[in-house]
Amino acid sequence: MSITNFSINETVDRRFDQVKSQFRHLLQDQLAASGLVILAGFFFLGIFGPMLAPNPPFNYQVTNAQGEILRLSPPSTAAPLGTTSFGQDILSQFLVGARPTFIVGLLGGVGTSVIGFLVGLTSGYFGGYVDEALMRFTDLTYSLPLLPMALLILTFVEPNILIITLIIMLFLWKIPARVVRSEVLSVKQRTFVKSARASGASDLRTMFVHVAPNVLSIGVLYTAYGIAWSIAVQASLSTSQSRLVRTSAC
Amino acid sequence: MSAFRRFLLKRIAISIGLVLVATSVIFIVLRLLPGSPFTTLFTTGNIGPEQQQEILELYGLTEPLWKQYLLYIKNMLTLQFGYSIQSSSSVWSIIGPKLLNTLILLVPALVTTAIVSSVAGMYAGWNRGSKFEKLSIVVSTFFRSTPIFISGLLFLIIFAYTLNLFPPFGMRSTTAAPTGLADTYLSGDFLHHYILPFSTAVLYYSGDFLLLARNGVVEKKGSEFLQLHRAKGLTEHEQLARAGRNTMLPLLTYFALRLGMIFQGLILLEVVFGWPGIGQELVNAISQQDYPLVQAAVFIMALAVITMNLIADILYAYFDPNVNASGGSV
Repeated sequence: MSITNFSINETVDRRFDQVKSQFRHLLQDQLAASGLVILAGFFFLGIFGPMLAPNPPFNYQVTNAQGEILRLSPPSTAAPLGTTSFGQDILSQFLVGARPTFIVGLLGGVGTSVIGFLVGLTSGYFGGYVDEALMRFTDLTYSLPLLPMALLILTFVEPNILIITLIIMLFLWKIPARVVRSEVLSVKQRTFVKSARASGASDLRTMFVHVAPNVLSIGVLYTAYGIAWSIAVQASLSTSQSRLVRTSAC
Repeated sequence: MSAFRRFLLKRIAISIGLVLVATSVIFIVLRLLPGSPFTTLFTTGNIGPEQQQEILELYGLTEPLWKQYLLYIKNMLTLQFGYSIQSSSSVWSIIGPKLLNTLILLVPALVTTAIVSSVAGMYAGWNRGSKFEKLSIVVSTFFRSTPIFISGLLFLIIFAYTLNLFPPFGMRSTTAAPTGLADTYLSGDFLHHYILPFSTAVLYYSGDFLLLARNGVVEKKGSEFLQLHRAKGLTEHEQLARAGRNTMLPLLTYFALRLGMIFQGLILLEVVFGWPGIGQELVNAISQQDYPLVQAAVFIMALAVITMNLIADILYAYFDPNVNASGGSV
């Protein structure tokens, strides 16, 4: 009992040290460090943004000392980023809006790359008819225009974070799928994959234990891209249908 | 050559299949969505049940679904898009000019950026580590990763509202009433409205071409055929021209793919600049639930992508001897 405890502690310590050294390594690279700072800023806004908002974002009107509503006012102490045509505080709207953007970006990005990764892995690994079918399916999703289809669905379905995330995943998985597939095609030819097959590993085992780790870095890269795309798509949807701005912020 | 012909036939068959499936998906989405284009009309209560029935019959909506589907497929594939519900004129007469407007804005932009940023990218790749390389990558990546409506708004604020250099909205002045194509697209007024959205599109497209060309040249730079050219005594520029020629294929296919995305890629550019193109028309049609217009526009967008994908595939297989024609790329 004590031995297992000890080894667990040791493993945890070792992992912790690894993370620490990775982190130190990251901080030495100027670009990586500034990226980390920006990322931390986004996390902070996403988590605490709504609590920092000085005013309610929608049901509140900024007024001046005479009690008049300030419409479309330039930045001032009462409203540091100015006001909308309804006299609402833009800073508060910005802070409250950070959280849905954060959630949609994160979920959409991760979902996009997970689906794309699995499709690409399956397609590239099995080849043949599986590949043909899956790749023609990606061609199909390429041909259907994202923004109009999404707008079409959203005119009938009450938009919320979940639906927007689902639509984003439905339309964006194709991009990582193609890239992962082509990478799998080349990894598949390597000897360690063939020897795994020869020593009797099942398709699933070869796929996930031997091939997947070698294309994982691309999956991670496309998660990062996916987050950026998800946020851009969500913003595009909001822009082209301004009522979404309000509903997605609730 | 027979392997190539088989590849060609297979690709064409697949593309036709894709068009059919895409068309069916549009049908399914439009029918699955709750409500019909007449829901708003009916709920106003001014129309009696008999008249409602009459309208539905007029549009063939009382037929069984499979009959509607067959008729729809037939009409779409023969490009018979019917009549718009909102403006009761034919869909073609509405979207035809809009398609032309989009093409006139984006095709020159795409061609310009394909030439300029490809050449710039090759030059950047040849002079690796130079200031020009770093600057060009930073600038084009910035515009590539900024959503088009943000950079569009930025340009509007700077050049239209602050500096008053260009008009902020539309394709021509509100007072202009041009007749004929030449008058519409060759006037100074049109050019004045054209420059801002055109430049935004050029900058947005530039990143991909620049990086593709740069990476291609960087890859080629150490290769043996270039050493041979250097040994032959060619100048730097002549060597670059030969390295560049060998990176043309991905650029060419990427150009074809981008051309396919032309109707659906930059919808928000049209919305931001009030450019009366197909994207803006489609967004309006969706908000007005004008089904015939929506399905026609989406169909044309899908058709363009599938056609240009096919052409890109064929270009690749035709020009690149490394590509195994029977099974796509290696």
